[in-house]
Amino acid sequence: MSILEIKDLQMSFGGNHVLQGLNMTVPEHSVFGFVGRNGAGKTTTMKIVLGLLRPRSGIVTVCGEQVIYGATKTNRHVGFLPDVPEFYGYMRPKEYLRLCGEITGLSSGQIRAKSEELLELVGLGDVNRKISGFSRGMKQRLGIAQALLNEPRLLICDEPTSALDPIGRKQVLDILSAIRGKTTVVFSTHILSDVERICDHIAVLERGKLVLSGTLGEIQKEHRRNSFSIRFATDQDALEFSQSEELKELNINLELDERILTIVIEDNSIGGQGLIDLLSQKQIVPEKFEAMEPTLESLFTEVVR
Amino acid sequence: MNHYLVFLKKELVEHARTYKLLIMLVVFTIFGITNPLIAKLTPELLASFMPEGMSMTIPEPTALDSWAQFFKNTQQMGMIVLVLVFSGVLSSEISRGTLINLLTKGLSRQAVILAKYSAMLLVWSLSILLSAALTWVYTMYLFPKDHLGVGYLLFAISCMWLFGAFLLALLLSSATLVQGNYGSLLLTGLMVVLLMALNIIPSIKEYNPVSVASKTMELAAGKIDPSSVYTAVEITAVASLGLIALAVIVFRKKRL
Repeated sequence: MSILEIKDLQMSFGGNHVLQGLNMTVPEHSVFGFVGRNGAGKTTTMKIVLGLLRPRSGIVTVCGEQVIYGATKTNRHVGFLPDVPEFYGYMRPKEYLRLCGEITGLSSGQIRAKSEELLELVGLGDVNRKISGFSRGMKQRLGIAQALLNEPRLLICDEPTSALDPIGRKQVLDILSAIRGKTTVVFSTHILSDVERICDHIAVLERGKLVLSGTLGEIQKEHRRNSFSIRFATDQDALEFSQSEELKELNINLELDERILTIVIEDNSIGGQGLIDLLSQKQIVPEKFEAMEPTLESLFTEVVR
Repeated sequence: MNHYLVFLKKELVEHARTYKLLIMLVVFTIFGITNPLIAKLTPELLASFMPEGMSMTIPEPTALDSWAQFFKNTQQMGMIVLVLVFSGVLSSEISRGTLINLLTKGLSRQAVILAKYSAMLLVWSLSILLSAALTWVYTMYLFPKDHLGVGYLLFAISCMWLFGAFLLALLLSSATLVQGNYGSLLLTGLMVVLLMALNIIPSIKEYNPVSVASKTMELAAGKIDPSSVYTAVEITAVASLGLIALAVIVFRKKRL
């Protein structure tokens, strides 16, 4: 079952068409990476999902219920972590969670138990000073705690790691990774290594549309090109192989960099086997023979170009 | 728990911890203590500044002078402090984004406006009550022989309170209409200046909320009958409620 469905979403600010028919489906229990350049419309999409912005057209459903602008009914399923969460500086973490709990209608006992559990999870269990003295990383972690307070089925995080130092980033990613299974996580980011680290699904937003979506494996498989990299033991081997007549007959792209030869074969009917045959025919043993997987970065730059 | 009560509690904690309550109470305590003192000391001060050999008959100060100080101070400095202290109450939450988090949790926008207004009213009521009580006690102490009509005095104080409530409603609705921390302050200031300017036209005076505050001294002295400001009082009360209703409607539709 999909927990979040977006159908043909259109949105514009003034004459600027931010979203142009966005379609997106987030399956339950996934960690969904929502990738795009700055200004691609990630935050706008999230705000529409939360009912904070009115789209020009299109339908958004959360857990099967349609999101209506201004009404916050569907938000009972959703936890939200803004990119730079702002809290009341004069409150302590527990007081803030109590306020949130009271708004969502939890009982006093539930709030106490849940607050302790969540503050422990985000590593703020023994912090009892006022929020005004918090670092950005601590605020981000408190943000996760408040977002998870009502046990949402969907957690939406807007660039949760972009403003953090490497340790803060690792902590936040670890927390998001730890809650998978209980909660579906959608997080927007432009840090691709974060996506590779914890996401199982990704979607790339560009010019108001999804240009790439699916599981990481699927995407890589789909975009795998017939390309190989061979590292030779000696310069001589490399030269001999790359200039062989047999290779020139094939419709290929060659690139020799020192002893590493990158080969892209345009013709899909010829696989790596042909290259291996040729190597054995020439009696060359390469140091390394690799069928190249596209990296997320190369895919990203390819689709947003 | 009811959203209104939850948010009212949060507002009151905020006023207490961000020193808004403290500032209001301190300022109005100072007014309360100094009103009778200034009334009592003014003739003596004037006399000491007189050049030698010159004499001037200064009428003996009365309790009425003490209350004149109260109404003058509250109407001028008091209102300025009130508006400044509460100027950022809604606008800063909007610009900083602290509200978004709570609104996405289902907090009703109407509750936000109503709770904010109630909390401000509570602090304002407490402040003016404190100031009036102190003025009352000190005036009795310094001018034991004078007696004022308690009914007139209470009515005048209520009028002053109502004008403060009107200003707060104006401030809150301004914050929903314009962006930024100073926008609401500016709009409120402009509206007050406009109302004061309108007060020059005699036929409007009777209906102008400004009259509610400016006539307080004459009311307390019993120089004019309370019935002469009834229309203005009614208009001010209705306008305050109208402004709050406007704030709720605008805030519901506002894009945050």
